[in-house]
Amino acid sequence: MNNLSLSINGQLQRVACDPLTPLADVLRDGLRLTGTKIGCRTGECGACTVLLDGEPVLSCLLPVAAVQDAKIQTVEGLAGDPRFEALASAMDACGGAQCGYCTPGIMVTLTAALRQPDRFAPGEYEAALKNNLCRCTGYRAIREAIAQVTAGLQSQEMTAGPARNSTATSEGAEALGQADALGKVAIPR
Amino acid sequence: MSPAVTTHNDLDDKIRGRTKYVADLHLPGELVGGILRSPHPHARILSIDTRRARAIPGVHAVITAADVPHPPFGPTQYKDWNILARDRVRFIGDEVAAVAAESAEAAAQAIAAIEVVYHPLPAVFDPEEALAAGLAGAAGSGAAARVATRAAAAAGGRATDGSGAWAGEPVVIHDETPDNRPMHIHIERGDVDAAFAKAAIVRGGRYTTNRIYQGHLEPIGVIATWDEAEGLTLITPSHIPYRARETYAAAFGLPEEKVRIQVPPIGGSFGAKYVHKAHLIAAALARAAGRPVRIVFDRYEDMLTAHPRVPLTIDIRIAADETGRFLGKDVTVWGDAGARVYWSPNVLATACSRPDSLYHFGAVRAEGHLMYTNHSPTTCMRGFGNAEMLFAVESVIDEIAEGLGLDPAEVRLRNIVHRGETTVHGYRLDSCELEACVKRVMELSGWSRRKDLPKYRGLGMALGNHVSGYRGIDPRFEGSTAVARLRADGVVEVETGEIDLGQGMSSTYARIAARVLEIDPARVLVKSGDTGRYPFGIGTLASRSTVMGGNAIRLAAERLRDALANFVAEALGPGARFAGGVARVPGPDGRAAPGAPEAGEGGSPAPGVAETFGKVYDLAELARLYRARHAGDALEVRASYTPQTDFPGKDFYGNPSPAYPFAAHVAEVEVDPETGRARVIGYWAVHDAGVVLNRVAATGQVVGGVAQGIGWALMEDLRTHRGAVQNLTLLDYRMPGVADVPPVTVEFVEVPDPHGPFGAKSVGEVAIDPAPAAVANAIAHALGVRGHALPLTAESLWRLQRDARRDGGGA
Repeated sequence: MNNLSLSINGQLQRVACDPLTPLADVLRDGLRLTGTKIGCRTGECGACTVLLDGEPVLSCLLPVAAVQDAKIQTVEGLAGDPRFEALASAMDACGGAQCGYCTPGIMVTLTAALRQPDRFAPGEYEAALKNNLCRCTGYRAIREAIAQVTAGLQSQEMTAGPARNSTATSEGAEALGQADALGKVAIPR
Repeated sequence: MSPAVTTHNDLDDKIRGRTKYVADLHLPGELVGGILRSPHPHARILSIDTRRARAIPGVHAVITAADVPHPPFGPTQYKDWNILARDRVRFIGDEVAAVAAESAEAAAQAIAAIEVVYHPLPAVFDPEEALAAGLAGAAGSGAAARVATRAAAAAGGRATDGSGAWAGEPVVIHDETPDNRPMHIHIERGDVDAAFAKAAIVRGGRYTTNRIYQGHLEPIGVIATWDEAEGLTLITPSHIPYRARETYAAAFGLPEEKVRIQVPPIGGSFGAKYVHKAHLIAAALARAAGRPVRIVFDRYEDMLTAHPRVPLTIDIRIAADETGRFLGKDVTVWGDAGARVYWSPNVLATACSRPDSLYHFGAVRAEGHLMYTNHSPTTCMRGFGNAEMLFAVESVIDEIAEGLGLDPAEVRLRNIVHRGETTVHGYRLDSCELEACVKRVMELSGWSRRKDLPKYRGLGMALGNHVSGYRGIDPRFEGSTAVARLRADGVVEVETGEIDLGQGMSSTYARIAARVLEIDPARVLVKSGDTGRYPFGIGTLASRSTVMGGNAIRLAAERLRDALANFVAEALGPGARFAGGVARVPGPDGRAAPGAPEAGEGGSPAPGVAETFGKVYDLAELARLYRARHAGDALEVRASYTPQTDFPGKDFYGNPSPAYPFAAHVAEVEVDPETGRARVIGYWAVHDAGVVLNRVAATGQVVGGVAQGIGWALMEDLRTHRGAVQNLTLLDYRMPGVADVPPVTVEFVEVPDPHGPFGAKSVGEVAIDPAPAAVANAIAHALGVRGHALPLTAESLWRLQRDARRDGGGA
């Protein structure tokens, strides 16, 4: 048993446990953050994905001692993030979840991807899902949700960018319902 | 004025990680359960020593067969189950002993400390060999010996997967079934031999389907509590909990009312989670330890014991005349039940009959052998035997078309069923838009370009049908019961015995009730999933939830609406009227208010409006008024729906379902000639699901079914060797990822079914039924040679091409 300090969802948490305990177990059993799901315990399904300094990782494989100096974000901690919220609305509208067990992991993975538009060409965000399995949806509704969000982000950039021209601004602003922040992008239902 | 209502939106909870599945739940004082499993496919248990296990700190219970009752029981009429194995183990993974401990570590230690001495017995893994192995033991029967010799020769003369370890000695897996064949069915209509005698063309062969893991992302889990007064309570995601309850009550000799199953949200099942030995073992441990016991599998144990799709070996022939009209169909099907019967008999019976209500085959004959083997038991999965048989049927139809030089779509159109017909097995098709589905999928997929596709590209078509509930599931009744209640806050609570397993049932039920009551679906709360609280229901299988549960919900909502109308007239005066989700009282001039504000939104109408047109009461106000006048009670009604269907008797004849859905699918594939790897690059699915009540959910069912069908056809197979599964991880058992599923175009041909709620039919299983066949037909078109054994992996397609080149002298 060791006493460890972890930064989870912006809060310092002290936990007493075996340093080799998988992070997923510490989150779920110690901190009751059960949004992180366990599907395989061997890093093969992606349901346990969390963010470690902004990068998606499989928390079922990570010994908790290895993540003491990192900022950990779980699906619970992403609530309020404008990209997460836009994606959550789109996933709901498109039917991107059925049984829902893989969904938190997919939300975490995609939120991280949407925060790094330089890594993904438009229309290729689904490549981020290579480590997430979904058995229910066949991925189409998830793809549609990504497309809705990225379309919203693109028009947002057009409206908010410094070099905007007046025509694009009025069109984009109308489409977005005068959005003033990413989180308020109106997702058509 | 009504309070604002929080929408019950299970999707939003799932998306945000708020949904609590069984693994997220804990009871005070709960212990961790573990199961000791047989390492042998077939062995006698000589002794079990649990003394060392009991001495491990933190261990509260160690149980073996000596500690549990042994009545004959099981989920079907074949009562071959036990709680723990007594005397004999029959497959690798068979449950021998179990422990409950304070921690998972202590439980694992205790499991490892149990000493079992086994005497290995001869085992059999191939269904045909299993019959021979059983008959080989029937001494003195000349006929049996001849059959045994013939079967052994047939089995020996066939290329197997290398697992054929049977050496010809007698093997009887259950003493009560000396031929290892718990079920043997014949279905025959018309003169099959005469049909084949006059045929212009006959095509067929042997087709085999694979051992598919259901692949639910949430591993199997249960929390059991045993209380002498209350009985047994199981928290577990079973989608057929009342049937499971019956099985478990029989196992422990309890009345059904003393077994309660509470169903948390289900993280996927596809057939795997309805009834499971882990539930029984957790219950026995909870009784022995006097504490709640949880068992949540890891992926390895889940894959070992989830009990896959029943693998079928199908010998098929179809006869047609020179115009492509079918004259006869003859099939023999061998089903591998494994060592215990779960739901394999029903799967086999479906395989032997269901496609005969998709096409007019003329005379049909089917013989089905359900065989015990020393494999882990097999059971139901979405598609339920029909998709398996359609793989064979649709493959053969393409061969007939090719043989006659006809377009495969044209051959299908000449033989499909239509509305108003009664099929050869008695299915009454009161709605059927199959022809429109075929024509539309041809347009969408650009079917006419099929003949011009380059080599290694192919287009394949396959059709599918299914039921919307099946009368044969329960001999006693079919139907569903719902309760509708007006809550004091104006929310309509609807209770059902059916179970949501992520397919969107609750949201569809909310829409049905809302439509009847003319209110916002967000004001309907659907509740289900507790056998101790909600109405009895058969559960979610046989694609029954929309039509069975949906009709019950519709009837209950109608009753609630009528009861509200009566109450409004009684309480607010004879001129008062309930419509549009509100009650309107006529004003002094006798006219009712023309439009009411949305409930909970604007409060009471403006004073001027009330003076002129009279008062408007929303549901919350009516609920409170009702409560005040009925001693605090809530307005509550219940209704049952019973379909007019026939129980299929021994001859399998009758109309077993009120409504039949249909589908036409086209897949486009590209095969890499170097590696043999096939990729699906386009997919089009047109469905007749009646009137679509929930478009997002229905489309999601189709796409999800297609994705599972693609995995089934190309990737997935639990490989066994001498009864041991070789690939018990998700890296070795690949299911489709996002890159494996092409864009899927989905359309519905919407014509109301007279029996479905608001004209709706089912969609969940018919979504997967044609998919493996459509992919297989596309591959055969791309390569010019046909694979007969699923899955059509890169290796198998590479070999097919190589053999074709060798046999055909180069391509």
